[in-house]
Amino acid sequence: MRNRLIFSAAAVVAALALSPAARGQSAAQQKPVPDISGVWLVEKFEPRLFPNGGAPLTAWAEAKFKTTNLQTNDPNLACLPLGLPRFMISVPYPMEIFQVPTRVIFLQEGPQTMRQIHMNRQHPKDLDPTYSGDSIGKWEGDTLVVDTIGFNDKTWLDGSGLPHSEAMHLVERIRRIDHDTLAYDFTVEDPKAYTKPLSGHEVYKLKPDWEIHEYVCEENNKYTYQGK
Amino acid sequence: MRNRPMRFSVTAVLLLLSFAGVTYAHHGFVSWFDMSKSTTVKGTVTSFDWTNPHSYIYLDVKNDKGAVEKWTIELGALSMLSRAGWRKETLKPGDEITATGNPAKDGKPIMHLDKVVLANGQELSSAL
Repeated sequence: MRNRLIFSAAAVVAALALSPAARGQSAAQQKPVPDISGVWLVEKFEPRLFPNGGAPLTAWAEAKFKTTNLQTNDPNLACLPLGLPRFMISVPYPMEIFQVPTRVIFLQEGPQTMRQIHMNRQHPKDLDPTYSGDSIGKWEGDTLVVDTIGFNDKTWLDGSGLPHSEAMHLVERIRRIDHDTLAYDFTVEDPKAYTKPLSGHEVYKLKPDWEIHEYVCEENNKYTYQGK
Repeated sequence: MRNRPMRFSVTAVLLLLSFAGVTYAHHGFVSWFDMSKSTTVKGTVTSFDWTNPHSYIYLDVKNDKGAVEKWTIELGALSMLSRAGWRKETLKPGDEITATGNPAKDGKPIMHLDKVVLANGQELSSAL
């Protein structure tokens, strides 16, 4: 079901681009925005935010981190969504970025999931916690600034299993520094889990000849997920 | 080496360091496989799972005592394998191949593939 949904992402983008709302907004927004669309792949893959340890965990987060077991309770074992920022930093597969006036959409090949960034609107009130939260974006010059809240606490920050709470606040800055390069910076604020904000950086390279392939995690998944 | 099927382990720390980050990637490889070791096995393909999220080669390997070990060799996802030159038809039962990768920590005949050398000498990487 999820895969069917995901593979209709391109159709959704096309429909959005042709929708009256999009056309209206497009007409109103005469100012062109930077183009970050295309297929991108992380340049140097390192799925751990703290490869040498030292994350500023609170006691709550430390207790939770101790239950982390890459062989049994990584949500990825169950093909569940990666959440953020793991979706952006811990995937060795390409992602495609689509842009329409009302959305910036990321389609990840690896976990075959989509995230959408709503442009020029505020966060809704009373958000129901979700895997990817609610992302809103705006252009600050050549940089797409994305603000996300409304997360559930079922995902990991990275591939090492760093936890987060539902209070996590993620701010991302995405900038195309040259034709072939996308720079990504993020800051995580989660006082329940971390004694100070965390930040990270990633570089993606354009893969002009690549297309996003099908990836069905559930097809022949031999790993066992035992939940929490 | 020689003509008979072989199995040996080598430490290739520098090589493995370059792969360590990648193999940490997906389903917790690092927790299952010993990333500080590399093992090479030569044997006969019994089947090839061309599937997501991982592909698998099943290999009959004769050990030094002449007994057959049933190896399971894990590869990456179809997308990256395709980009690395793999196809569904790359392997078929009966093919003789040499596979190099990280062995399982628990000593079972399971490997996370680094590269394979086909009977015709073609070399393909695991992609992940």
